[in-house]
Amino acid sequence: MIKLENVTKVYKTGTRALNGISLYINQGEFVYIIGATGSGKSTLIKILNGEEAASKGKVNVAGTDLTKLRTGRIPYFRRNVGVVYQDFCLLPKKTVFENVAFALEVVSEKTIYIRKRVREVLKLVDLEEKAKSFPNEISGGQKQRVAIGRAIANKPKVLIADEPTGNLDPEKSEEIIALLERINREEGTTILMVTHDKELVEKHKKRTILLQDGYIVADLMEGGYVSHD
Amino acid sequence: MIKFFRNIPRHFKEARNGIVRNFAMTLSSASAVTVTLVLIGAFLLVAVNLDSFMTSVEEGVQIHVRIEDTVSEDKISSLQASVEAISGVRSVVYSDKDSELDALIEVYGEEGELFETYRGDANPLKRAFVVEVTDGLLIDEVTAKIEAVPGIFSALYGGSSIIEMMSAFENIKSGGIIFVLILSALAVFLISNTIKLTIFARQDEIRIMRLVGASNGYIRTPFLLEGIFIGLLGAILPIGLVYFGYTYLYTVTGGYFFTPLFTLITPQPFLMYISGALAGIAIIVGLIGSYISVSRYLWWKR
Repeated sequence: MIKLENVTKVYKTGTRALNGISLYINQGEFVYIIGATGSGKSTLIKILNGEEAASKGKVNVAGTDLTKLRTGRIPYFRRNVGVVYQDFCLLPKKTVFENVAFALEVVSEKTIYIRKRVREVLKLVDLEEKAKSFPNEISGGQKQRVAIGRAIANKPKVLIADEPTGNLDPEKSEEIIALLERINREEGTTILMVTHDKELVEKHKKRTILLQDGYIVADLMEGGYVSHD
Repeated sequence: MIKFFRNIPRHFKEARNGIVRNFAMTLSSASAVTVTLVLIGAFLLVAVNLDSFMTSVEEGVQIHVRIEDTVSEDKISSLQASVEAISGVRSVVYSDKDSELDALIEVYGEEGELFETYRGDANPLKRAFVVEVTDGLLIDEVTAKIEAVPGIFSALYGGSSIIEMMSAFENIKSGGIIFVLILSALAVFLISNTIKLTIFARQDEIRIMRLVGASNGYIRTPFLLEGIFIGLLGAILPIGLVYFGYTYLYTVTGGYFFTPLFTLITPQPFLMYISGALAGIAIIVGLIGSYISVSRYLWWKR
């Protein structure tokens, strides 16, 4: 599902964010990416969703060779990759229902389908009761569930979560990880989660990749937290 | 294509939001379009009327070509054909000695009757061609070419001052077009700035659109609609001014300026065309302005 071969990223400023990393993630896998600030996690995510192009190497995500993808085709590629950020990125003037529907509207889905799919998604993220609420009327955990709902509305093959629990307390973090596990299990979505949460990684053991200075320094198939100090 | 039509109501809704949220900027850009279009409208009215005036003047300017006496009658038609073959010549009408005398008598009115004594063999006038040209500004060149044709005694035209005036009008028209282009560029710049602000206000929304895979076309369309709306909003006043102002002017002047030679074009359907042209320019200016901003923004972001 995700295949990186000797990927290097050097920014125009000369900063080397990734140094020839290779990575293979199969369909349906749930993988943690851990590492200190500046280790290359954000760059990796940007490369995986087409926000940045690799300077060298091959990138293939959900069957698309990103190194050969024309800029104009990037939006169509992104429909296969859902992304969730720490800051939720919700539209404050739209209700929970409308925020999720927005992802389907912009890809020109039919209104009838949008209504049906949004109801399905809100059920999956357990927010049916909050459909008419605005983002400022719900908790942080609920906001993140809306963001996850929006990211999976288009049924992406891959879901990238960039520190989805970063702004949440342990209880809410548990809820989010449980939701992601459910999506992974029920929808078969490949999930890549960037996190700093040691307890979460230890408690819900999954394949864990440690990045340091733009290199993959550990890839634990059995999971568990590895210190990057 | 079906998807495009399905999105139209959504695009209009987004464009309306953009206008409402940045209403002050919308108004300021629209007023720039208004100023530009008022000037363009005035310029168009003057230019089209001048053009019509120049055409009627051109039609009145003729070259009087006198034929050598040595040219026999049977050679006249081939000589006429050689004059007709000159580029810039619209028509050539032969006028024999008698007709030339008639014309002279007509010019002098009652006193001209005196010339009747010259009719017949005593007529000293030369046979002539009356030549009309396709473009009044070419008259000098055409006259010189006709004079060079063997068998032609002389070629003269009257009203050289009119030709100079027409050349001055041409210059005014060219200068006016440059002026209008500069103003249009300014309006494009102002609209593009307004759209830039709208984009800034909707940055988060655009980021999310990109996140979930909205195509550049989908993101761009509401901004383009907004640009068109700003253009059209700015066109209302100029169209009104041109439409009612010209109709009033036409009524007050009785349809001509100073002299019946300078007849104003009748308001209908002329004003409909001018209004359509102004609306068209407004749409194009709005479209280009917003396209520049939004394309630049989308170009910078992957």
